[in-house]
Amino acid sequence: MTSTYKSYIFLSCILLLFPFFSQAQAGLIKGQVHSKDDNTALPGVSVLVRGTGKGANTDANGNFEIQASAGDVLVLSSVGYDTAEVVITGNTYIEAFLNNVDNALQEVVVVGYGTVKKKDLTGAVSSVDTKDFASLPVPNAGEAIEGKAAGVQVISSGSPGSNVTLRIRGVGTINDADPLIVIDGVPTDAPLNNLNPDDIASFDVLKDASAGAIYGSRGANGVILITTKKGANGKGHLSFNFFTGWQNAARVVKMLNAQQFASLNNEMLTNGNQAINPAFANPDTLGVGTNWLDALFRTAPMQNYSLAYSGGSDKYNYYVSGSVLDQKGIVINTGYKRYTVQFNSQAKVLDWLNFGNNLTLTADEKPSGSYDIRSTMAANPVQPVYNKDGTYSNVTGNSLWYGDITNQIGTSNINQNNTKGYNVLGSIYAEISLLPGLKFKSTAGLQAEFFDSKSWAPVYNFQPNPQTQAYLSEQFNKSLTYLWDNYFTYDKIIGSDHHLTLLAGTSAQNNKFDYLSGNKTNFPSSITQQLNSGTGTANVGGDASEWALFSYMGRVNYAYLDKYLVTATLRRDGSSRFGQNNKYGTFPSASAAWRVSKENFFKHVNFINDLKLRAGYGVTGNQNIGNYSFASALQIAQYNFNGNVVSTVYPLVLPNPGVQWEQVEQSNIGIDATLFHNRINLTVDAYIKNTSKMLVPAVVPVTTGYSSTIVPSINAAKMQNQGIEITLSTKNLVGAFSWNTDFNISFNENKIRSLNDSTPLFVDNYGLNANFGIDQAGHPANEFYGYVTNGIFQIQKDVDNHAVQQAGTDAHNSTSPGDIRFIDLNNDGVINAGDRTYIGNPNPKFIFAMNNSFAYKGFDLNVFLQGVSGNKIFNANNIYQESMSTAENQTARTLDRWEGEGTSNYMPRAIYGDPNQNSRVSTRYIEDGSYMRIKNITLGYTFPKQIIQRIRLSSLRLYASCQNVYTFTNYSGFDPEVGVNGVDYSVYPVTRTISVGINLNL
Amino acid sequence: MKIIQIIFFLLIALSFGSCKKYLDKAPLDTINSSNFFQTAEDAINAINGAYQPLQRPKLYNLRMWTSDIFAGNSVVGAGGGTDGIETVEEANFTTDASNAGVLDLYRGPYPGILSCNLVIKNVPGMNIDTTLRNRIVGEAKFLRANYYFILVRYFGDIPLIIVPQTPSDNLYPARTAKADVYNQIIADLKDAISLLPPKENYKGSDFGRASKGAATGTLAKVYLTLGNYADVVPLCQQVTAMGYTLNTNYADNFDPAHKNSSESLFEVQYSGNTTFGFFDDLNQASWASPFMGPRNTNFVGGAYGWNQPTQEFVDNYEGGDVRKDLTILYQGCPDFNGNVYNSSYSTTGYNVRKFLVPTSVSPQYNTSPQDFPVLRYADVLLMESEVLNELGETGQAEAPLNLVRGRAGLPPIQTGLSKDNFRNAVLHERRVELAFEGQRWFDMIRINNGQYGLDFLHSIGKTNATSKNLLMPIPQVERDANPNLTQNPGY
Repeated sequence: MTSTYKSYIFLSCILLLFPFFSQAQAGLIKGQVHSKDDNTALPGVSVLVRGTGKGANTDANGNFEIQASAGDVLVLSSVGYDTAEVVITGNTYIEAFLNNVDNALQEVVVVGYGTVKKKDLTGAVSSVDTKDFASLPVPNAGEAIEGKAAGVQVISSGSPGSNVTLRIRGVGTINDADPLIVIDGVPTDAPLNNLNPDDIASFDVLKDASAGAIYGSRGANGVILITTKKGANGKGHLSFNFFTGWQNAARVVKMLNAQQFASLNNEMLTNGNQAINPAFANPDTLGVGTNWLDALFRTAPMQNYSLAYSGGSDKYNYYVSGSVLDQKGIVINTGYKRYTVQFNSQAKVLDWLNFGNNLTLTADEKPSGSYDIRSTMAANPVQPVYNKDGTYSNVTGNSLWYGDITNQIGTSNINQNNTKGYNVLGSIYAEISLLPGLKFKSTAGLQAEFFDSKSWAPVYNFQPNPQTQAYLSEQFNKSLTYLWDNYFTYDKIIGSDHHLTLLAGTSAQNNKFDYLSGNKTNFPSSITQQLNSGTGTANVGGDASEWALFSYMGRVNYAYLDKYLVTATLRRDGSSRFGQNNKYGTFPSASAAWRVSKENFFKHVNFINDLKLRAGYGVTGNQNIGNYSFASALQIAQYNFNGNVVSTVYPLVLPNPGVQWEQVEQSNIGIDATLFHNRINLTVDAYIKNTSKMLVPAVVPVTTGYSSTIVPSINAAKMQNQGIEITLSTKNLVGAFSWNTDFNISFNENKIRSLNDSTPLFVDNYGLNANFGIDQAGHPANEFYGYVTNGIFQIQKDVDNHAVQQAGTDAHNSTSPGDIRFIDLNNDGVINAGDRTYIGNPNPKFIFAMNNSFAYKGFDLNVFLQGVSGNKIFNANNIYQESMSTAENQTARTLDRWEGEGTSNYMPRAIYGDPNQNSRVSTRYIEDGSYMRIKNITLGYTFPKQIIQRIRLSSLRLYASCQNVYTFTNYSGFDPEVGVNGVDYSVYPVTRTISVGINLNL
Repeated sequence: MKIIQIIFFLLIALSFGSCKKYLDKAPLDTINSSNFFQTAEDAINAINGAYQPLQRPKLYNLRMWTSDIFAGNSVVGAGGGTDGIETVEEANFTTDASNAGVLDLYRGPYPGILSCNLVIKNVPGMNIDTTLRNRIVGEAKFLRANYYFILVRYFGDIPLIIVPQTPSDNLYPARTAKADVYNQIIADLKDAISLLPPKENYKGSDFGRASKGAATGTLAKVYLTLGNYADVVPLCQQVTAMGYTLNTNYADNFDPAHKNSSESLFEVQYSGNTTFGFFDDLNQASWASPFMGPRNTNFVGGAYGWNQPTQEFVDNYEGGDVRKDLTILYQGCPDFNGNVYNSSYSTTGYNVRKFLVPTSVSPQYNTSPQDFPVLRYADVLLMESEVLNELGETGQAEAPLNLVRGRAGLPPIQTGLSKDNFRNAVLHERRVELAFEGQRWFDMIRINNGQYGLDFLHSIGKTNATSKNLLMPIPQVERDANPNLTQNPGY
């Protein structure tokens, strides 16, 4: 029905634009077929008279002749174009236009419990082009979409097997701001890693509340809808994709070498009134020593194999694939292996009954090593990696001279941490046609995740933390999620002008997670890594938690004359996570669109193919608030008397019986325009996203006795994100040499409107003694907070004339020349906590990406740029690695340290103990996080059809690709792509990958 | 078609049906507090929970004994630099309101106080065995007094919370005057003395709980701290009358094989059980041995090299004091469990020995079952001696002091000392006898209103120390959390 509907609309357009009417009798019909995109004549189009055997093909100029009479329907089809139908109404000449299948307007967009055509969208939805997933040397679909959709920020962590962090339209909450991911209709917490990117058919992002409200209490952070591939009608299809690549660290921070380290150590201890190391008396003799970071990183290979077969008829279709990924990490002893199987099928069992299934099976193995980037930076360059006898060297002697960093290469090599995952994500559905237009669909889904982790540490005399007994720890985790969705859809065209689609249904989903863990010590041998082989102390543990969600949802889509479009949705969610008083939440939304280009007054504006204005408003929620925040619970632990263990019960967290979802109200307006014969596609959206009832940690003074670190959250704060997103796709050149550009840019401004009271929240502790960030009303989320530096004291008089930082007369333990001057913001003559202020915003002002793709004959070239701008990074590694107050190695930047009047005005003196607290949280560690990255360059060659048809292939492409080619940035650390909160602390560096691959189809 | 439709409408009706139960999910691993305090086991589990915060690094596993470092007995040592930087700051008297060690001391006691408050509120009304009920309430009062005693000595005025708070209460109390806090401590300890059984009444896995003797000795120390000397003597004598004696061997006080010995009034108990993470609040292993073991050696499982005695401290040992070899590792000292000590293991040339546990007892850093002494009979004897001297009974004061000296292999104190000289002798004895047990700082700040401590610190070159340092700053994060908290002077 949809196809007739489509051609009906389509035909009316044609008739409007090209009124070549004639009154001739039925008989020989002549005509010409054009491409609607560029108006060129289409040769080889099949023209069939429906219901008869009569057929013809268009010639080289797109002309055809066929016998037909009035009332007959001509079916025009050609590979790469939408099939069109033309009703013969008496005219003998037909001018027909075929839509290119990738004409964005005709694309189907998944919107949750259904699909709509892009032209009918009323909300803000981004669809990511998944075509080039197969030639990107990335194992994770999340990495593949970086920069591909406006308003979607992707932050990849780099370590193998890790998942990306996704933020849609800014940080919507200071809490869990991850979007909801729905794979083949099943809302899931399965990581994107579970999918082979080659299996993904569509990747749609519901950005605004009018689109996301159908997911109610889970839609606030945006919704990502992933659909895996289906078999197509017709001949079977086999596709094989392979790539192999080499990865290395795109950039490594330069540290001091041995002699530089020794000089600094001497200087630091002398300044701190400590004895210097006699062995460092002559630093020059020490040479360059060990580069520990070089020893930790390596060039690592990666391979991916993916094979799929698919096919179908009008009764049945199938898509089956398997893939193997083997990735070694750029840090020794890390890696990722993944095996996936995808099996999708659909069957028309009876005329009124369809069944279908999607099944994703994933097994993966992740050796995550036991490395520590920050500690490796800190390792002493004077110490070799190995002793002469081949054993790992140890830190020995006075820790003020040699530090106390365990041999990082030794622990990385010897200790093992392994995670294995086994995941099933499946759904099966039945769809029943009850009445014309009325369908009922029931979907049962299951997500089963099993993951095991194993840690092994053999006996080794590492100093200062020797492993005196071998240790084995294992944990088995199980997470089962069940889903049952039931809904009716009713699709009706009333008259010829009104199109109504209704949806009503329920959804029930529940999860239970549990784990069992055990560890033991004292293993006789490294070969027997089984708990039974351990003879030492055994410990066991285990726990479980549950959640459940029950929802009602409804949606109305109404279109009048294909011009005026209205969508309204309503969802009512009940969640086990909500307190008794707020068990159910209601989430409404409405949006409308006006296709201006369909108006009569617009028909003369030839350069605009399509123009649509959209506006929407909706309310969504975030229920990632913890499973049991409402509960008043007593924890169970232990104590002992005289060595006899006894159980204890104690209150840990203050309960919050009123806890409920966080709420987001979002207004969105947008324009979609297609211009100049579809050469330009432009989408502009502007939004205001108001988060209310945002959970903030209740301020629980420790005097209550309840934990002041694990505190209840209360729905008390407000946040606002507002922004503009622009997506522009242009076909700059068409023809033999083609050049397309896709550009998107997203501006977002984040601001906390209010907290539960005037007390700010200090965030980003990292287990250190200070917080780097603050959440405060009137400021963006996670803004950095600390002291403001103002150069270095050059002479004692500078110190004396400034506010008191660390009083005293002894340069060894008071502020002295060479120390950092902090600004006395409150002018009270003392530098203390009152002089801290807001020192940097980790949220980018805008993110952008541009892809240029070129094609000439069989060659294709993609150059993809991506970047962020206007954000700050807190380089927390440097709290240690530029503190110059301990025997840890320091960055090469400390060579510019202050060593006397006029020697430096930014890098302070080296002094043991840091009496001035030069390393306090200050603007010293704030750096510009803006960057532009040449994210990917891919060069491919597709062999001509004539050649490959001889070897019975339908297509063959070879390509070479480089991921993370080069990054333009002023940031001094490993890489500016750090976590969402902008703190760089022991972050795995970004990996550059060079790969070659093949895409083969038959 | 009709039948199918009916079936499906039924199915839908089912799925739309009542789902109240479906959404009821209570935590699976915790106890719902609304139906707690029903049985004797509930009460016992709750009072056990009141002891546990003592074990945490915020209190006796770290912060309580690192006070000897800022008291000048030792230096942090450790890994240097940021390892223990907060303690280095405390020892340099550059402590500010963001100091992590100070935060621990402030945060350490209150969870224990909440557990005590819950017991004191709920248990008296429970229908359980009277003896057990009294004991449990007595334990709670004893523990609450101990927690507040720690707070009041470190911070002076502090919020005094004696009933459990709920979310609807005022959670932002102002500081209560020190004198009122002490009044509450004294009242609690008096109740505890009357409610608690003597130590010998505890058997099996109850041995080591708070006892009448513990409460009596603690009250003596409270009065001593307040300078109420006349009240101290009878309490010390009552402790003696309960049968406490000095261990023949000084080292037994720290030996996991002699837990809760006849000298022990109260100690924090550790089992060395590894159920919880070593750095977790719930950890059951003692940190003292691994933290104090000479760094980068195999003396003990772990060995982080904290708490290195200074030369000035080591010089305090009189010739023939058997405690020196039992307390200090120095070059040439008897070997420890086969390990020979070298002065290069430490920045001062010394390490603490009295808390080291051999690997035969604790093979790993996280398995030490060593208890930490809170109050020993030797302390009680020295309190009695000090107070008798202060009350002008210097002659009588010699006997308890000589008991302690005798056990250490030292001759009796010279008779006929002046009051001041005798006081110095007792304080010297306290410093050596109780070294590294976290007592020295409290002695320094109580005597002569802390001037004694400041004079001592200045004499060892710690010229930064001023009278403001006699109290710790109220941690900034807690002031951020509770705007009603004022800061101590000078911070």
